[in-house]
Amino acid sequence: MRNRTGLLGLAGLAGLLVLVEALPRLGLVNDAYLPPTSRIAAALGDELITAEFWRAIGDTLTGWAIGLVIAVAAGVVVGIVVGSVPVLRAATASTIEFLRPIPSVALIPLAVLLYGTDLGSTLLLVVYAAFWQVLVQVLYGVADVDPIADETARSFRFGAWARVRHVLWPTALPYVFTGVRLAASVALVLAVTAELVIGAPGLGKSIAVAQTSGAVPLMYALIAVTGLLGVGINLAARIFERRSLAWHQSVRGEVPA
Amino acid sequence: MLEVSSLNKVYRSGAREVEALRDLTFTVDSGELVCLVGPSGCGKTTLLRCIAGLLEPSAGKVRLDGREVSGPPPGLAMVFQEYGRSLFPWMSVRDNVELPLKQRKIARHRRTTLVQDALDAVGLTGTESAYPWQLSGGMQQRVAIARAIAYEPSTLLMDEPFAAVDAQTRADLEDLVRALWQRLEVTVLFITHDIDEAVYLGQRVVMLSSSPTVVQDEITVDLPPARDQLHTRADPRFTELRTHVYEQIQAAKRGAGASS
Repeated sequence: MRNRTGLLGLAGLAGLLVLVEALPRLGLVNDAYLPPTSRIAAALGDELITAEFWRAIGDTLTGWAIGLVIAVAAGVVVGIVVGSVPVLRAATASTIEFLRPIPSVALIPLAVLLYGTDLGSTLLLVVYAAFWQVLVQVLYGVADVDPIADETARSFRFGAWARVRHVLWPTALPYVFTGVRLAASVALVLAVTAELVIGAPGLGKSIAVAQTSGAVPLMYALIAVTGLLGVGINLAARIFERRSLAWHQSVRGEVPA
Repeated sequence: MLEVSSLNKVYRSGAREVEALRDLTFTVDSGELVCLVGPSGCGKTTLLRCIAGLLEPSAGKVRLDGREVSGPPPGLAMVFQEYGRSLFPWMSVRDNVELPLKQRKIARHRRTTLVQDALDAVGLTGTESAYPWQLSGGMQQRVAIARAIAYEPSTLLMDEPFAAVDAQTRADLEDLVRALWQRLEVTVLFITHDIDEAVYLGQRVVMLSSSPTVVQDEITVDLPPARDQLHTRADPRFTELRTHVYEQIQAAKRGAGASS
């Protein structure tokens, strides 16, 4: 069953590649705007052997990774503190609901003002977008702590730290992973956006440069690369999640009792 | 020794007040096995949480081994009805039993012995590396009991521990509790809604009224200490005692009906 879905997925992808190849060749679209797959692939092949390409990927991934780490660390710490103190939770609920929907791209002018075209600009946008994804999930996770598990820990005289470490954290962990997975995708979007709009070095900037210099096949090739990065990141996050949560009912499957 | 004196608990939410416990006084001597029974909704769980130091009473005192309870007391271990939620699913059986010992900063060598002895005592040798959710309900509750006895408590609180397991498993676990109690000389307060279970297990049975709860009655179970499921339950004295408890519980329910 799993194999079949995989095969169907690959068939769909192959279909898309064929379609992109066929549309410009049949003259249905102007090949100045959409070059056929083969030319995009050739441009990608040429690009793969250049140092600039790999530097751009490195820059994008650096901004993505640093931003993600900051956002996850901050989201987890803030989430645990706010989530376990009911007064804080109540006091911050409306503020969080107000700040969370602000699109990160609305902060581009601010980022430029503060950091110019440095890495700092990218980081600001990435962290802002990714932080809320993590925070909200951690808050859900903290709220999901089983009162019986917590009372068990208290009855065995666990201290506050031991209860966070042994009860709250394992309970929240599946939520944290979901948050990280969502944040990782959003962070990539924002990293590329920042490079594209602000001109911070990275794949986004390369796409903008390819576009302005009329290298349309290369532009498509770079866009495809960002897509592949996203798929790779999501896949890696899922594998990591499944390995770490073998005990969780969403992963462990049914066990005859 | 556990002393509960004039215990009262009122829950307040806004202007509403619910008196769960009115005035409870009873003692459990060191090394005694006492069962508490009461009609459903009689505040057993509230009482237990007050004794365990998880809930602050509105008035009255709980003293354990001479010290007043304010917060979970040392020397007390608790077995919950909801074993599936009380055991940590992210830890193996061994780690579940060992974790409270780690928190008490017991040396590794001693911990290993305690964990192994406790698991042997409840008949779970060989399941150390399994996860709780891979075991049957009865076995999970055995893990919870092992965790409690490995902690070497002077007092064991059991909150309807067998309410969620099937009848045959339940009989086995009842015998296990009596055997452990006799071997470890631990004080046991066993809360149940099952009258037969209370009479079968206890040296004494304390009957509670409906909420707001007071002690309805108290009997000494004068059955021989060596009990077994077949003969003890067929003993005419057992039947007399369970009839008495049953009548008291019925009276408690009627009393509540008349006053409300």
